[in-house]
Amino acid sequence: MDFYFGLAQIIGVHTLLGLSAYVVLLTGQVSMAQAGFYAIGAYTPGAMTAMFGLHILPAIVIAGLVSAGIACIVGFPALRVKGLMLVVATLAFGEMVRLFFFNLTWQVERNGELVGPNGAEGFRAIRYFPQNGWEVWHVTVFIWIVVAVVMAALWWMDRSRAGAVLRAVGHDEIAAQSIGLNLTAVKVGAMTAGGFIAGLGGGIYAHTVTHIEHGVFGVLLATFAIAYPILGGLGTVFGTLIAVLFIQGFLIEGLRFMGDWRSLLFGALIVLAMNLRPTGLLGEHAPRMKHLLGLRGRKTETLESKEAN
Amino acid sequence: MIDFVQNTLDGLAIGSAYGLLALGFTLIFGVMRRLNMAFGPSILVGIFAGAWLHSHWSAGMIPVFLATLAGAVIASAYVERLSFAAIRGDAALASMASSFALWMQLEEAVARVFPQRTYAFPTFEGLPMLELGPLFLRPEYLVMFLTAAALVAGLQVILTRTLFGLHLRTLSDNREAARVSGVNVAQVALLTFLLAAAIGGVAGFLIAATDGQISTKLGMWATMKGLIAMVIGGLGSMRGALIGGLALGVVEAQAQWYLGASGREITTFALLFVALILLPVGLAGGAETGARAEAGRRL
Repeated sequence: MDFYFGLAQIIGVHTLLGLSAYVVLLTGQVSMAQAGFYAIGAYTPGAMTAMFGLHILPAIVIAGLVSAGIACIVGFPALRVKGLMLVVATLAFGEMVRLFFFNLTWQVERNGELVGPNGAEGFRAIRYFPQNGWEVWHVTVFIWIVVAVVMAALWWMDRSRAGAVLRAVGHDEIAAQSIGLNLTAVKVGAMTAGGFIAGLGGGIYAHTVTHIEHGVFGVLLATFAIAYPILGGLGTVFGTLIAVLFIQGFLIEGLRFMGDWRSLLFGALIVLAMNLRPTGLLGEHAPRMKHLLGLRGRKTETLESKEAN
Repeated sequence: MIDFVQNTLDGLAIGSAYGLLALGFTLIFGVMRRLNMAFGPSILVGIFAGAWLHSHWSAGMIPVFLATLAGAVIASAYVERLSFAAIRGDAALASMASSFALWMQLEEAVARVFPQRTYAFPTFEGLPMLELGPLFLRPEYLVMFLTAAALVAGLQVILTRTLFGLHLRTLSDNREAARVSGVNVAQVALLTFLLAAAIGGVAGFLIAATDGQISTKLGMWATMKGLIAMVIGGLGSMRGALIGGLALGVVEAQAQWYLGASGREITTFALLFVALILLPVGLAGGAETGARAEAGRRL
């Protein structure tokens, strides 16, 4: 049973990571920096709870705020470049963050042992959950409450004016500018929100695994982060969730019985999915789902379906 | 001061290999307008094919070189078919995600066939160390530099003197115009992809032969170096790719000497980040190219 809780935790944390890239993707920007924000979010609350004995809730909120602050600062220069150049710039930023933590050694003594980030060895003993008597299912429920709150917030945002603004910038920057939207503010805002969500995810991740090291937060994780919303589609937040379930639940865990051949099949299935649905599993024009559920489309749908034709 | 000059010399040699990797990227990007994340891993397949030939048949340098080239080209053809030819031209992100999946696939395939951490690769043995007054130049570096120079000269001839070169340049200037004037877009794209793979294969061979040992990490390494060098130099320009490669090589060599290995990595990425923001047109500068405009387009 613990296995399934563990899997649910991984899926929850990766959903947060994917959602952080989703917000930025809505404005048409592809950011590979999400793994960097996730790393900042992992180290910061790890330090807060393990080194200074803070409660988990303020710790992960602070982690989110720190990540958001850095995302905002990085956003201003980085978002001057677009498209592919932004991919590379954010990739560079993510790697800089990783290498920063690779070189960071800052340990304090607590209860007779040294805790804190220790360079290449990583940050050990982030034992907030076991020390405070949290059981595995407590942690799992906690993670999914956070995921649900974030998803609900994004869902609500998507249906409000903010969502329309983000999508407007994502669809056509010139048109968005001509109706008086401040492109820089919108993009940096999305980047900041993405940074906050990635920070939350990273903070929770650090506490579930208890040991973090720089290698985890590399290009691979950054690519996973953007692959979730791309594969899931930008239609709704559920696309990202479905993609995480598909990749982490089915492709990685479900195919574990295939042993080492899994990675080969993994590649083939992603290629197949991208070939069949280049705009993602739940694309921006995913009317079927809405018809099935009997829901009416968003206001922007007419515009989008026009563009599709 | 001597150290500085010595580092610059070493950096230029390594940088020429980076320049080749960047050239491969630039060719693919110029024609496809999409990023091939699996470029490095394709080269990895080639290098391991060469290493296999070397360890099983104790083959000499030339068969190993040919095997490296063949491996890289075949792996690249596979990537082209699945991630580029099969996906609509305007779905740049889908191609990127899909080539990334193939990256993992190729890397895993290599790791399955070659389970050890590192393997030996034949080196240029018996070449004397060159001395230029107080400076030393490793013979491998000289080979690297000269091969890169010869390859660039050859590429220049292909691009400017052959019909294929004309088609390639037309295609990278304007895809629609190329199609209208009767260029077989799909065929030229595939050939360009393979040409880029061959250039990458040469770069991979030179790097592996200089180090003498290889691991599966080389795939990601090659993708990153090529990408960084291409972007520093300026997207879509051959000259930019070479200048970017050389600049990256020199900066890395200096940073390695003065700041150590981890300092080198941070410096590389900081250079990339700053270069992108302060100098988005790249070191080569010059006129706005179609590819550069495309790179700034919404993905």
